[in-house]
Amino acid sequence: MAVARTNGLALLLLPSALLFALFFFVPIGLMAVMSLLTGNPVVAANVAFTARHYLRIVNDPYYLEVIWTTIRIGLWTTLISLLIGYPLAHWMARIRSRAGHAALLMAVLAPMLTGVVVRTFAWMALLSDKGVINQILASLGLTTKPVQLMYNETGIVVGLVHIYVPFMVLTLTGVIGRIDERLEQAAESLGASPLRSFLEVTLPLSLPGILAGSLLVFALSISAYVTPILLGGFQIMTLPILIYQQISANFNIGFAAALGMVLLLVSLLLIVAYNRVLGLVSGQHELQ
Amino acid sequence: MPPFAPQTPSQEFSGALPAATSLRDRQRASAQSRRPAAGKRIRAGRALYLTVNIAVLIFLLAPIAIVVVFALNPTPFIQFPPVGVSLRWFQKFFAARDFMHALVFSLEVAMLTTACATLLGGCAALAIARGNLPGARIVLAVMLSPLMLPAILTGLALFQAYVLLDVGRPLWGLVAGHTLVTIPYVVRTTLAVLHNFDLRLEEAARNLGASPGRTFFEVTLPLVKPGVLAGAIFAFIVSFDQFPVSLFLVSPGNETLPITLFNYLKFDLDGTIGAASVVSILLAFLVVLALDRTVGLRAYVKL
Repeated sequence: MAVARTNGLALLLLPSALLFALFFFVPIGLMAVMSLLTGNPVVAANVAFTARHYLRIVNDPYYLEVIWTTIRIGLWTTLISLLIGYPLAHWMARIRSRAGHAALLMAVLAPMLTGVVVRTFAWMALLSDKGVINQILASLGLTTKPVQLMYNETGIVVGLVHIYVPFMVLTLTGVIGRIDERLEQAAESLGASPLRSFLEVTLPLSLPGILAGSLLVFALSISAYVTPILLGGFQIMTLPILIYQQISANFNIGFAAALGMVLLLVSLLLIVAYNRVLGLVSGQHELQ
Repeated sequence: MPPFAPQTPSQEFSGALPAATSLRDRQRASAQSRRPAAGKRIRAGRALYLTVNIAVLIFLLAPIAIVVVFALNPTPFIQFPPVGVSLRWFQKFFAARDFMHALVFSLEVAMLTTACATLLGGCAALAIARGNLPGARIVLAVMLSPLMLPAILTGLALFQAYVLLDVGRPLWGLVAGHTLVTIPYVVRTTLAVLHNFDLRLEEAARNLGASPGRTFFEVTLPLVKPGVLAGAIFAFIVSFDQFPVSLFLVSPGNETLPITLFNYLKFDLDGTIGAASVVSILLAFLVVLALDRTVGLRAYVKL
Protein backbone atom coordinates (compact mmCIF):
# COMPACT_ATOMS: atom_id res chain seq x y z
CA MET A 1 0.00 0.00 0.00
CA ALA A 2 3.01 2.28 0.37
CA VAL A 3 2.65 5.19 -2.01
CA ALA A 4 5.89 6.71 -3.19
CA ARG A 5 4.91 10.30 -2.58
CA THR A 6 4.62 12.50 0.46
CA ASN A 7 1.30 11.97 2.21
CA GLY A 8 -0.70 13.66 4.93
CA LEU A 9 1.26 12.05 7.75
CA ALA A 10 4.26 14.15 6.73
CA LEU A 11 2.43 17.16 8.16
CA LEU A 12 2.91 15.64 11.63
CA LEU A 13 6.54 16.69 11.37
CA LEU A 14 5.61 20.38 11.40
CA PRO A 15 5.41 20.95 15.18
CA SER A 16 8.85 19.42 15.74
CA ALA A 17 10.27 21.26 12.76
CA LEU A 18 9.01 24.50 14.24
CA LEU A 19 10.52 23.69 17.65
CA PHE A 20 13.88 22.84 16.11
CA ALA A 21 13.86 25.95 13.93
CA LEU A 22 12.93 28.36 16.71
CA PHE A 23 14.77 26.82 19.65
CA PHE A 24 17.74 25.13 18.01
CA PHE A 25 18.79 26.49 14.64
CA VAL A 26 17.95 30.15 15.25
CA PRO A 27 19.73 30.21 18.64
CA ILE A 28 22.81 28.44 17.27
CA GLY A 29 22.79 30.82 14.30
CA LEU A 30 22.53 33.75 16.70
CA MET A 31 25.47 32.33 18.66
CA ALA A 32 27.53 32.20 15.47
CA VAL A 33 26.63 35.84 14.71
CA MET A 34 27.28 36.97 18.29
CA SER A 35 30.73 35.43 18.18
CA LEU A 36 31.55 37.84 15.36
CA LEU A 37 30.07 41.03 16.84
CA THR A 38 31.75 43.67 19.01
CA GLY A 39 28.76 43.90 21.35
CA ASN A 40 25.12 43.12 21.99
CA PRO A 41 23.20 44.72 19.07
CA VAL A 42 20.03 45.04 21.17
CA VAL A 43 21.46 47.28 23.86
CA ALA A 44 24.61 48.78 22.32
CA ALA A 45 24.90 51.21 19.44
CA ASN A 46 27.61 51.00 16.75
CA VAL A 47 28.00 47.27 16.76
CA ALA A 48 30.40 46.05 14.10
CA PHE A 49 31.68 42.72 12.86
CA THR A 50 34.99 41.63 14.33
CA ALA A 51 37.20 38.58 14.59
CA ARG A 52 38.67 39.71 17.89
CA HIS A 53 37.00 37.01 20.02
CA TYR A 54 38.57 34.29 17.91
CA LEU A 55 41.92 36.10 17.77
CA ARG A 56 41.85 36.32 21.57
CA ILE A 57 41.46 32.53 21.81
CA VAL A 58 44.26 31.88 19.33
CA ASN A 59 46.70 34.50 20.63
CA ASP A 60 46.40 33.95 24.36
CA PRO A 61 48.34 30.87 25.53
CA TYR A 62 45.98 30.62 28.53
CA TYR A 63 42.99 29.77 26.33
CA LEU A 64 44.99 27.33 24.23
CA GLU A 65 46.09 25.69 27.49
CA VAL A 66 42.42 25.41 28.55
CA ILE A 67 41.53 23.76 25.24
CA TRP A 68 44.48 21.39 25.57
CA THR A 69 43.51 20.48 29.16
CA THR A 70 39.97 19.71 27.96
CA ILE A 71 41.29 17.50 25.17
CA ARG A 72 43.83 15.79 27.46
CA ILE A 73 41.12 14.93 30.02
CA GLY A 74 38.92 13.71 27.15
CA LEU A 75 41.68 11.47 25.77
CA TRP A 76 42.49 9.87 29.14
CA THR A 77 38.78 9.33 29.84
CA THR A 78 38.33 7.69 26.44
CA LEU A 79 41.37 5.44 26.78
CA ILE A 80 40.47 4.19 30.26
CA SER A 81 36.80 3.76 29.35
CA LEU A 82 37.88 1.61 26.43
CA LEU A 83 40.26 -0.51 28.53
CA ILE A 84 37.73 -1.26 31.26
CA GLY A 85 34.65 -1.19 29.03
CA TYR A 86 35.85 -3.73 26.48
CA PRO A 87 35.95 -6.80 28.78
CA LEU A 88 32.50 -6.01 30.15
CA ALA A 89 31.06 -5.43 26.67
CA HIS A 90 32.58 -8.71 25.52
CA TRP A 91 31.05 -10.54 28.44
CA MET A 92 27.66 -8.94 27.78
CA ALA A 93 27.78 -9.87 24.11
CA ARG A 94 28.83 -13.47 24.75
CA ILE A 95 27.02 -14.43 27.94
CA ARG A 96 24.58 -17.22 27.22
CA SER A 97 22.02 -17.00 29.99
CA ARG A 98 19.18 -14.57 29.47
CA ALA A 99 19.05 -13.68 33.17
CA GLY A 100 22.80 -13.06 33.22
CA HIS A 101 22.49 -10.71 30.29
CA ALA A 102 19.61 -8.84 31.93
CA ALA A 103 21.60 -8.50 35.17
CA LEU A 104 24.64 -7.10 33.34
CA LEU A 105 22.42 -4.74 31.40
CA MET A 106 20.87 -3.46 34.63
CA ALA A 107 24.34 -3.00 36.15
CA VAL A 108 25.39 -0.88 33.17
CA LEU A 109 22.15 1.08 33.02
CA ALA A 110 21.85 1.78 36.76
CA PRO A 111 24.68 4.35 36.79
CA MET A 112 23.35 5.88 33.58
CA LEU A 113 20.00 6.50 35.20
CA THR A 114 21.59 8.22 38.19
CA GLY A 115 22.03 11.93 37.66
CA VAL A 116 25.44 13.42 36.89
CA VAL A 117 25.40 15.55 40.03
CA VAL A 118 24.59 12.55 42.22
CA ARG A 119 27.37 10.46 40.72
CA THR A 120 29.88 13.28 41.07
CA PHE A 121 28.83 13.60 44.70
CA ALA A 122 29.44 9.86 45.14
CA TRP A 123 33.00 10.28 43.85
CA MET A 124 33.57 13.26 46.12
CA ALA A 125 32.49 11.08 49.07
CA LEU A 126 34.95 8.41 47.90
CA LEU A 127 37.94 10.50 46.91
CA SER A 128 38.01 13.54 49.22
CA ASP A 129 40.67 13.96 51.91
CA LYS A 130 38.23 12.67 54.53
CA GLY A 131 36.53 10.35 52.06
CA VAL A 132 35.96 6.63 52.17
CA ILE A 133 39.20 5.62 50.45
CA ASN A 134 41.40 7.82 52.64
CA GLN A 135 39.61 6.61 55.79
CA ILE A 136 40.18 2.99 54.80
CA LEU A 137 43.84 3.65 54.00
CA ALA A 138 44.33 5.43 57.34
CA SER A 139 42.55 2.76 59.40
CA LEU A 140 44.72 0.10 57.80
CA GLY A 141 47.72 2.17 58.84
CA LEU A 142 48.93 2.46 55.27
CA THR A 143 48.96 6.26 55.27
CA THR A 144 49.46 8.87 57.95
CA LYS A 145 48.12 11.85 56.05
CA PRO A 146 45.41 11.91 53.37
CA VAL A 147 46.41 11.05 49.83
CA GLN A 148 45.17 13.70 47.44
CA LEU A 149 42.84 11.80 45.12
CA MET A 150 40.73 14.67 43.87
CA TYR A 151 41.17 18.35 43.07
CA ASN A 152 43.39 17.20 40.23
CA GLU A 153 42.99 15.80 36.75
CA THR A 154 43.18 12.21 37.96
CA GLY A 155 40.06 12.72 40.08
CA ILE A 156 38.25 14.29 37.15
CA VAL A 157 39.18 11.42 34.84
CA VAL A 158 38.01 8.81 37.39
CA GLY A 159 34.65 10.55 37.73
CA LEU A 160 34.24 11.00 33.98
CA VAL A 161 35.13 7.37 33.26
CA HIS A 162 32.43 6.26 35.67
CA ILE A 163 29.89 8.50 33.94
CA TYR A 164 30.75 7.62 30.35
CA VAL A 165 31.92 3.99 30.43
CA PRO A 166 28.32 2.73 30.04
CA PHE A 167 28.15 4.48 26.64
CA MET A 168 31.34 2.67 25.62
CA VAL A 169 30.01 -0.69 26.85
CA LEU A 170 26.69 -0.37 25.03
CA THR A 171 28.34 0.68 21.76
CA LEU A 172 30.91 -2.13 21.92
CA THR A 173 28.37 -4.79 22.91
CA GLY A 174 26.35 -4.05 19.78
CA VAL A 175 29.37 -4.49 17.53
CA ILE A 176 30.90 -7.53 19.31
CA GLY A 177 27.50 -9.21 19.40
CA ARG A 178 27.35 -9.05 15.63
CA ILE A 179 30.68 -10.83 15.11
CA ASP A 180 29.93 -14.38 14.01
CA GLU A 181 30.99 -16.66 16.85
CA ARG A 182 31.72 -19.43 14.38
CA LEU A 183 34.77 -17.46 13.22
CA GLU A 184 36.27 -17.74 16.72
CA GLN A 185 35.28 -21.39 16.93
CA ALA A 186 36.95 -22.04 13.59
CA ALA A 187 40.15 -20.40 14.82
CA GLU A 188 40.10 -22.44 18.01
CA SER A 189 39.38 -25.73 16.30
CA LEU A 190 42.34 -25.02 14.04
CA GLY A 191 44.49 -24.93 17.17
CA ALA A 192 44.53 -21.27 18.22
CA SER A 193 44.31 -20.58 21.93
CA PRO A 194 41.28 -18.53 23.09
CA LEU A 195 43.62 -15.57 23.62
CA ARG A 196 45.04 -15.85 20.13
CA SER A 197 41.63 -16.27 18.52
CA PHE A 198 40.51 -13.17 20.43
CA LEU A 199 43.54 -11.14 19.36
CA GLU A 200 43.47 -12.22 15.74
CA VAL A 201 39.74 -12.62 15.07
CA THR A 202 37.49 -10.83 17.55
CA LEU A 203 39.60 -7.76 18.27
CA PRO A 204 40.19 -6.74 14.64
CA LEU A 205 36.53 -7.30 13.79
CA SER A 206 35.42 -5.12 16.69
CA LEU A 207 37.64 -2.22 15.60
CA PRO A 208 34.70 -0.15 14.26
CA GLY A 209 32.98 -0.47 17.65
CA ILE A 210 36.17 0.62 19.40
CA LEU A 211 36.36 3.67 17.15
CA ALA A 212 32.67 4.57 17.46
CA GLY A 213 32.62 4.13 21.24
CA SER A 214 35.80 6.17 21.63
CA LEU A 215 34.46 9.04 19.52
CA LEU A 216 31.23 9.03 21.54
CA VAL A 217 32.96 9.03 24.92
CA PHE A 218 35.44 11.69 23.80
CA ALA A 219 32.64 13.94 22.50
CA LEU A 220 30.73 13.56 25.77
CA SER A 221 33.69 14.05 28.08
CA ILE A 222 34.99 17.25 26.46
CA SER A 223 31.59 18.85 27.01
CA ALA A 224 31.22 17.80 30.67
CA TYR A 225 30.74 20.56 33.21
CA VAL A 226 29.69 19.27 36.64
CA THR A 227 32.35 16.60 37.12
CA PRO A 228 35.39 18.70 36.12
CA ILE A 229 34.32 21.64 38.25
CA LEU A 230 33.47 19.67 41.43
CA LEU A 231 36.17 16.99 41.27
CA GLY A 232 38.66 19.59 40.07
CA GLY A 233 37.73 21.73 43.06
CA PHE A 234 37.41 24.87 40.89
CA GLN A 235 41.16 24.59 40.27
CA ILE A 236 41.18 23.12 36.79
CA MET A 237 39.78 25.03 33.87
CA THR A 238 38.15 23.24 30.93
CA LEU A 239 36.32 24.67 27.93
CA PRO A 240 32.75 24.22 29.28
CA ILE A 241 33.77 25.71 32.64
CA LEU A 242 35.36 28.66 30.85
CA ILE A 243 32.23 29.19 28.74
CA TYR A 244 29.97 29.29 31.77
CA GLN A 245 32.38 31.55 33.61
CA GLN A 246 32.34 34.03 30.72
CA ILE A 247 28.54 34.18 31.05
CA SER A 248 28.12 34.12 34.82
CA ALA A 249 31.10 36.14 36.02
CA ASN A 250 32.20 38.32 33.10
CA PHE A 251 28.94 38.51 31.13
CA ASN A 252 31.06 38.49 27.97
CA ILE A 253 28.48 36.97 25.62
CA GLY A 254 30.53 37.47 22.45
CA PHE A 255 33.57 35.68 23.82
CA ALA A 256 31.42 32.90 25.30
CA ALA A 257 29.83 32.50 21.86
CA ALA A 258 33.25 32.23 20.19
CA LEU A 259 34.31 29.56 22.72
CA GLY A 260 30.98 27.83 22.11
CA MET A 261 31.66 27.82 18.37
CA VAL A 262 35.03 26.14 18.98
CA LEU A 263 33.34 23.40 21.02
CA LEU A 264 30.59 23.11 18.39
CA LEU A 265 33.10 22.67 15.58
CA VAL A 266 35.02 19.95 17.43
CA SER A 267 31.79 18.16 18.34
CA LEU A 268 30.43 18.30 14.78
CA LEU A 269 33.64 16.78 13.43
CA LEU A 270 33.38 13.98 16.01
CA ILE A 271 29.70 13.35 15.21
CA VAL A 272 30.36 13.09 11.48
CA ALA A 273 33.20 10.66 12.14
CA TYR A 274 31.04 8.62 14.55
CA ASN A 275 28.19 8.34 12.06
CA ARG A 276 30.54 7.34 9.26
CA VAL A 277 32.13 4.63 11.37
CA LEU A 278 28.82 3.15 12.51
CA GLY A 279 27.41 3.55 9.00
CA LEU A 280 30.31 1.48 7.74
CA VAL A 281 29.58 -1.28 10.25
CA SER A 282 25.91 -1.60 9.39
CA GLY A 283 26.76 -1.32 5.69
CA GLN A 284 29.10 -4.30 6.00
CA HIS A 285 26.45 -6.17 7.90
CA GLU A 286 23.90 -5.71 5.15
CA LEU A 287 26.35 -6.99 2.57
CA GLN A 288 26.99 -10.25 4.39
CA MET B 1 21.92 7.72 27.07
CA PRO B 2 20.47 4.44 25.90
CA PRO B 3 18.46 4.63 22.76
CA PHE B 4 20.53 6.47 20.29
CA ALA B 5 22.79 5.58 17.45
CA PRO B 6 20.26 4.28 14.98
CA GLN B 7 22.67 2.45 12.74
CA THR B 8 22.84 -0.81 14.62
CA PRO B 9 20.36 -3.32 13.29
CA SER B 10 18.46 -5.33 15.84
CA GLN B 11 19.92 -8.54 17.07
CA GLU B 12 19.48 -11.18 19.71
CA PHE B 13 22.22 -11.48 22.27
CA SER B 14 21.22 -14.43 24.32
CA GLY B 15 19.73 -16.48 21.57
CA ALA B 16 23.14 -18.11 21.11
CA LEU B 17 22.74 -21.59 19.77
CA PRO B 18 22.89 -24.37 22.36
CA ALA B 19 24.32 -26.66 19.71
CA ALA B 20 27.24 -24.32 19.18
CA THR B 21 27.82 -24.22 22.92
CA SER B 22 28.12 -27.91 23.28
CA LEU B 23 30.31 -28.13 20.18
CA ARG B 24 32.59 -25.52 21.63
CA ASP B 25 32.71 -27.26 24.99
CA ARG B 26 33.56 -30.54 23.34
CA GLN B 27 36.37 -28.91 21.38
CA ARG B 28 37.70 -27.31 24.49
CA ALA B 29 37.46 -30.57 26.43
CA SER B 30 39.35 -32.44 23.75
CA ALA B 31 41.98 -29.68 23.53
CA GLN B 32 42.42 -29.90 27.27
CA SER B 33 42.77 -33.63 27.31
CA ARG B 34 45.43 -33.36 24.60
CA ARG B 35 47.43 -30.63 26.27
CA PRO B 36 46.94 -30.35 30.03
CA ALA B 37 49.25 -27.32 30.27
CA ALA B 38 47.20 -25.43 27.69
CA GLY B 39 44.03 -26.35 29.59
CA LYS B 40 45.44 -24.85 32.76
CA ARG B 41 46.36 -21.67 30.91
CA ILE B 42 42.85 -21.44 29.49
CA ARG B 43 41.34 -21.83 32.96
CA ALA B 44 43.66 -19.14 34.33
CA GLY B 45 42.69 -16.86 31.44
CA ARG B 46 39.03 -17.49 32.14
CA ALA B 47 39.53 -16.62 35.82
CA LEU B 48 41.35 -13.42 34.90
CA TYR B 49 38.55 -12.48 32.50
CA LEU B 50 35.93 -12.91 35.23
CA THR B 51 38.02 -11.07 37.83
CA VAL B 52 38.50 -8.06 35.57
CA ASN B 53 34.80 -7.96 34.75
CA ILE B 54 33.72 -8.21 38.36
CA ALA B 55 36.15 -5.42 39.25
CA VAL B 56 34.58 -3.23 36.55
CA LEU B 57 31.10 -4.01 37.86
CA ILE B 58 32.20 -3.03 41.37
CA PHE B 59 33.63 0.19 39.98
CA LEU B 60 30.28 0.91 38.31
CA LEU B 61 28.03 0.09 41.24
CA ALA B 62 30.04 0.85 44.40
CA PRO B 63 29.64 4.65 44.15
CA ILE B 64 25.87 4.27 44.06
CA ALA B 65 25.99 2.00 47.11
CA ILE B 66 28.19 4.56 48.89
CA VAL B 67 25.57 7.25 48.35
CA VAL B 68 22.93 5.07 50.00
CA VAL B 69 25.22 4.22 52.93
CA PHE B 70 26.07 7.88 53.39
CA ALA B 71 22.39 8.89 53.36
CA LEU B 72 21.58 6.39 56.13
CA ASN B 73 24.65 7.07 58.27
CA PRO B 74 23.77 9.42 61.17
CA THR B 75 27.10 11.30 61.36
CA PRO B 76 27.28 14.71 59.65
CA PHE B 77 30.47 13.78 57.82
CA ILE B 78 31.52 10.84 55.73
CA GLN B 79 32.33 7.94 57.98
CA PHE B 80 33.46 4.54 56.93
CA PRO B 81 32.55 1.95 58.05
CA PRO B 82 29.11 3.42 58.87
CA VAL B 83 28.15 3.67 62.53
CA GLY B 84 24.41 3.18 62.33
CA VAL B 85 21.19 3.70 60.46
CA SER B 86 19.04 6.78 60.76
CA LEU B 87 16.60 8.70 58.68
CA ARG B 88 17.63 12.13 59.99
CA TRP B 89 19.06 13.25 56.64
CA PHE B 90 15.85 12.28 54.91
CA GLN B 91 13.93 14.28 57.53
CA LYS B 92 16.25 17.23 56.97
CA PHE B 93 15.87 16.92 53.19
CA PHE B 94 12.07 16.77 53.28
CA ALA B 95 11.95 19.63 55.80
CA ALA B 96 14.26 21.92 53.79
CA ARG B 97 12.18 24.41 51.85
CA ASP B 98 14.68 25.04 49.07
CA PHE B 99 15.10 21.31 48.38
CA MET B 100 11.35 20.70 48.41
CA HIS B 101 10.75 23.66 46.15
CA ALA B 102 13.41 22.36 43.75
CA LEU B 103 12.01 18.82 43.84
CA VAL B 104 8.50 20.01 43.04
CA PHE B 105 9.78 22.37 40.34
CA SER B 106 11.87 19.57 38.79
CA LEU B 107 8.87 17.24 38.71
CA GLU B 108 6.80 20.00 37.13
CA VAL B 109 9.41 20.69 34.44
CA ALA B 110 9.90 16.96 33.82
CA MET B 111 6.17 16.39 33.40
CA LEU B 112 5.68 19.34 31.05
CA THR B 113 8.77 18.26 29.09
CA THR B 114 7.55 14.66 28.87
CA ALA B 115 4.18 15.80 27.55
CA CYS B 116 5.73 18.07 24.90
CA ALA B 117 8.50 15.66 23.87
CA THR B 118 6.13 12.68 23.65
CA LEU B 119 3.58 14.51 21.54
CA LEU B 120 6.07 16.20 19.21
CA GLY B 121 8.49 13.27 19.04
CA GLY B 122 5.76 10.67 18.51
CA CYS B 123 4.24 12.71 15.67
CA ALA B 124 7.65 13.33 14.12
CA ALA B 125 8.47 9.61 14.23
CA LEU B 126 5.21 8.78 12.44
CA ALA B 127 5.95 11.42 9.81
CA ILE B 128 9.48 10.07 9.29
CA ALA B 129 8.40 6.43 9.08
CA ARG B 130 5.16 6.84 7.10
CA GLY B 131 5.13 10.28 5.51
CA ASN B 132 7.33 9.33 2.53
CA LEU B 133 9.29 12.47 3.23
CA PRO B 134 12.02 13.39 0.83
CA GLY B 135 15.29 13.32 2.75
CA ALA B 136 13.84 11.41 5.71
CA ARG B 137 17.35 10.29 6.72
CA ILE B 138 18.52 13.87 7.06
CA VAL B 139 15.38 14.82 9.01
CA LEU B 140 16.08 11.91 11.36
CA ALA B 141 19.73 12.88 11.78
CA VAL B 142 18.67 16.42 12.69
CA MET B 143 16.06 15.18 15.17
CA LEU B 144 18.67 13.00 16.87
CA SER B 145 21.44 15.60 16.84
CA PRO B 146 20.73 17.12 20.30
CA LEU B 147 21.89 13.79 21.75
CA MET B 148 25.46 14.16 20.61
CA LEU B 149 25.85 17.89 20.45
CA PRO B 150 27.02 19.09 23.86
CA ALA B 151 23.89 20.03 25.83
CA ILE B 152 25.89 22.88 27.31
CA LEU B 153 25.87 24.46 23.82
CA THR B 154 22.10 24.09 23.55
CA GLY B 155 21.88 25.86 26.91
CA LEU B 156 24.31 28.59 25.91
CA ALA B 157 22.62 29.22 22.54
CA LEU B 158 19.14 29.40 24.09
CA PHE B 159 20.42 31.65 26.88
CA GLN B 160 21.89 34.07 24.34
CA ALA B 161 18.70 34.03 22.26
CA TYR B 162 16.58 34.80 25.33
CA VAL B 163 18.95 37.62 26.31
CA LEU B 164 18.86 39.11 22.81
CA LEU B 165 15.09 38.88 22.66
CA ASP B 166 14.87 40.19 26.21
CA VAL B 167 12.35 37.58 27.34
CA GLY B 168 13.94 36.88 30.72
CA ARG B 169 14.12 33.28 31.92
CA PRO B 170 10.57 31.99 31.62
CA LEU B 171 9.37 28.47 32.44
CA TRP B 172 8.43 27.84 28.79
CA GLY B 173 11.99 28.66 27.82
CA LEU B 174 13.34 26.00 30.17
CA VAL B 175 10.75 23.44 29.04
CA ALA B 176 11.59 24.17 25.39
CA GLY B 177 15.27 23.51 26.10
CA HIS B 178 14.47 20.26 27.91
CA THR B 179 12.08 19.19 25.14
CA LEU B 180 14.83 19.69 22.60
CA VAL B 181 17.23 17.35 24.40
CA THR B 182 14.57 14.71 25.19
CA ILE B 183 12.77 14.52 21.81
CA PRO B 184 15.48 12.24 20.33
CA TYR B 185 14.65 9.51 22.88
CA VAL B 186 10.97 9.50 21.93
CA VAL B 187 11.78 9.55 18.20
CA ARG B 188 14.22 6.64 18.61
CA THR B 189 11.93 4.37 20.63
CA THR B 190 8.86 5.13 18.51
CA LEU B 191 10.75 4.54 15.27
CA ALA B 192 12.10 1.25 16.65
CA VAL B 193 8.51 0.05 17.04
CA LEU B 194 7.36 1.46 13.71
CA HIS B 195 10.17 -0.32 11.87
CA ASN B 196 9.14 -3.69 13.26
CA PHE B 197 5.53 -2.97 12.45
CA ASP B 198 3.68 -5.35 10.14
CA LEU B 199 2.08 -3.09 7.56
CA ARG B 200 -0.28 -5.90 6.58
CA LEU B 201 -2.20 -5.33 9.82
CA GLU B 202 -3.20 -1.90 8.60
CA GLU B 203 -3.96 -3.24 5.15
CA ALA B 204 -6.18 -5.91 6.67
CA ALA B 205 -8.11 -3.30 8.65
CA ARG B 206 -8.55 -1.20 5.52
CA ASN B 207 -9.63 -4.18 3.45
CA LEU B 208 -12.22 -5.05 6.08
CA GLY B 209 -13.73 -1.64 5.56
CA ALA B 210 -12.19 0.54 8.30
CA SER B 211 -11.67 4.19 7.42
CA PRO B 212 -8.08 5.52 7.49
CA GLY B 213 -8.87 7.36 10.72
CA ARG B 214 -10.32 4.29 12.39
CA THR B 215 -7.36 2.18 11.20
CA PHE B 216 -5.00 4.70 12.74
CA PHE B 217 -6.72 4.85 16.11
CA GLU B 218 -7.61 1.17 16.44
CA VAL B 219 -4.61 -0.53 14.81
CA THR B 220 -1.62 1.78 14.42
CA LEU B 221 -1.82 3.67 17.70
CA PRO B 222 -2.21 0.67 20.06
CA LEU B 223 0.70 -1.09 18.33
CA VAL B 224 2.98 1.94 18.54
CA LYS B 225 2.07 2.68 22.16
CA PRO B 226 4.90 0.70 23.83
CA GLY B 227 7.54 2.63 21.88
CA VAL B 228 5.98 5.98 22.66
CA LEU B 229 5.62 5.00 26.31
CA ALA B 230 9.26 3.94 26.56
CA GLY B 231 10.30 7.23 24.97
CA ALA B 232 8.13 9.16 27.42
CA ILE B 233 9.77 7.42 30.37
CA PHE B 234 13.27 8.14 29.07
CA ALA B 235 12.24 11.75 28.45
CA PHE B 236 11.04 12.05 32.04
CA ILE B 237 14.26 10.66 33.54
CA VAL B 238 16.52 12.69 31.27
CA SER B 239 14.61 15.88 32.00
CA PHE B 240 14.58 15.19 35.74
CA ASP B 241 18.38 14.69 35.77
CA GLN B 242 19.15 17.33 33.14
CA PHE B 243 21.93 19.68 34.16
CA PRO B 244 23.72 21.70 31.43
CA VAL B 245 20.62 23.17 29.77
CA SER B 246 19.09 24.04 33.15
CA LEU B 247 22.35 25.64 34.28
CA PHE B 248 21.87 28.42 31.73
CA LEU B 249 18.09 28.69 31.78
CA VAL B 250 16.89 28.51 35.39
CA SER B 251 16.09 31.71 37.20
CA PRO B 252 17.27 32.31 40.77
CA GLY B 253 14.66 31.02 43.21
CA ASN B 254 13.24 28.68 40.58
CA GLU B 255 15.93 26.05 40.30
CA THR B 256 15.66 22.39 39.39
CA LEU B 257 16.84 19.74 41.86
CA PRO B 258 20.16 18.96 40.11
CA ILE B 259 21.05 22.68 40.12
CA THR B 260 20.13 23.04 43.80
CA LEU B 261 22.17 19.92 44.64
CA PHE B 262 25.11 21.30 42.66
CA ASN B 263 24.99 24.65 44.47
CA TYR B 264 24.77 22.86 47.83
CA LEU B 265 27.68 20.56 46.92
CA LYS B 266 29.95 23.52 46.28
CA PHE B 267 29.95 24.31 49.99
CA ASP B 268 28.64 21.37 51.92
CA LEU B 269 29.07 17.63 51.89
CA ASP B 270 26.69 16.32 54.53
CA GLY B 271 24.10 13.54 54.50
CA THR B 272 21.32 15.77 53.15
CA ILE B 273 22.91 15.49 49.72
CA GLY B 274 22.98 11.72 50.17
CA ALA B 275 19.29 11.68 51.06
CA ALA B 276 18.45 13.90 48.09
CA SER B 277 20.48 11.61 45.85
CA VAL B 278 18.73 8.50 47.14
CA VAL B 279 15.35 10.10 46.52
CA SER B 280 16.25 10.92 42.92
CA ILE B 281 17.80 7.47 42.36
CA LEU B 282 14.66 5.80 43.73
CA LEU B 283 12.50 7.93 41.49
CA ALA B 284 14.50 6.93 38.41
CA PHE B 285 14.38 3.26 39.42
CA LEU B 286 10.63 3.32 39.95
CA VAL B 287 10.23 4.81 36.51
CA VAL B 288 12.56 2.24 34.93
CA LEU B 289 10.80 -0.60 36.74
CA ALA B 290 7.55 0.68 35.29
CA LEU B 291 9.21 0.73 31.87
CA ASP B 292 10.45 -2.83 32.23
CA ARG B 293 7.05 -4.04 33.43
CA THR B 294 5.14 -2.38 30.63
CA VAL B 295 7.31 -2.76 27.55
CA GLY B 296 10.55 -4.50 28.49
CA LEU B 297 13.99 -2.90 28.50
CA ARG B 298 16.00 -4.89 26.03
CA ALA B 299 14.52 -3.49 22.86
CA TYR B 300 15.40 0.09 23.71
CA VAL B 301 18.99 0.05 24.82
CA LYS B 302 20.70 -0.84 21.60
CA LEU B 303 23.53 1.42 20.67
